[in-house]
Amino acid sequence: MTYKVTEEGNISTVFLQGEIDMDVTDKAKEVIMPLVEAKKEVHLNLKEVQYIDSSGISVLIESHQKANELGTKVILKDISKSVLKVIMMAKLEQVLNLD
Amino acid sequence: MNISESKNFPVNTKSLKEVRDFARTIFDQSPILSPQKDELVLAIAEAAQNIVKHAYKDIEETNNTMKIKISFIDNELEIGFFDKGKPVKPENVKHRKLDDIKPGGLGTFFIKQIMDEVVFKEATGWHNHLVLTKNFTDQ
Repeated sequence: MTYKVTEEGNISTVFLQGEIDMDVTDKAKEVIMPLVEAKKEVHLNLKEVQYIDSSGISVLIESHQKANELGTKVILKDISKSVLKVIMMAKLEQVLNLD
Repeated sequence: MNISESKNFPVNTKSLKEVRDFARTIFDQSPILSPQKDELVLAIAEAAQNIVKHAYKDIEETNNTMKIKISFIDNELEIGFFDKGKPVKPENVKHRKLDDIKPGGLGTFFIKQIMDEVVFKEATGWHNHLVLTKNFTDQ
């Protein structure tokens, strides 16, 4: 998994790329959580994520819940078909912010 | 077309990508399995992840390997997982309730959603033997 972060005002966009599994969840959290904790609105661009497993979904849930707690939000953008399939299998499409 | 292939993998998180690549290569060989490759790969990767995460919980490093065997015979897909981790009590293998939204607990749910049957069996020389099956007769 690789990533790129861009900033525009209070919005941080994280462009994730590759496969998100248990091996890289710590790395994903290290990128996303500090932005959430800084109360940024975090956009996760998932266009180039070809695979996500339950560990990756856990990162999405954890960051979403932390953002809610801090009064900000995490929005999932440009979700790839394969990632959307897994989000829907977990019945999270009404829980997470999908755009 | 019948398929039967197996491979051993080191028990660690770095192997998970290798497990997925192994499974993708096999599923690509079959016009029946290929259209459902993404879901099947997810089920296999989640089961392999459970071995690393649960059967080897609190074990920092190990030289052990886990074996994965994929067979597709007469439209029946059988995926076997063999490991020498802590013996699993099948009754303890359950997923969280879906409406209890929290990180974790989804891997087993995904496996059960994708596959027809998930059972633990005996296997000489191994501590755990998980078998996932799915029938493709009507597809």
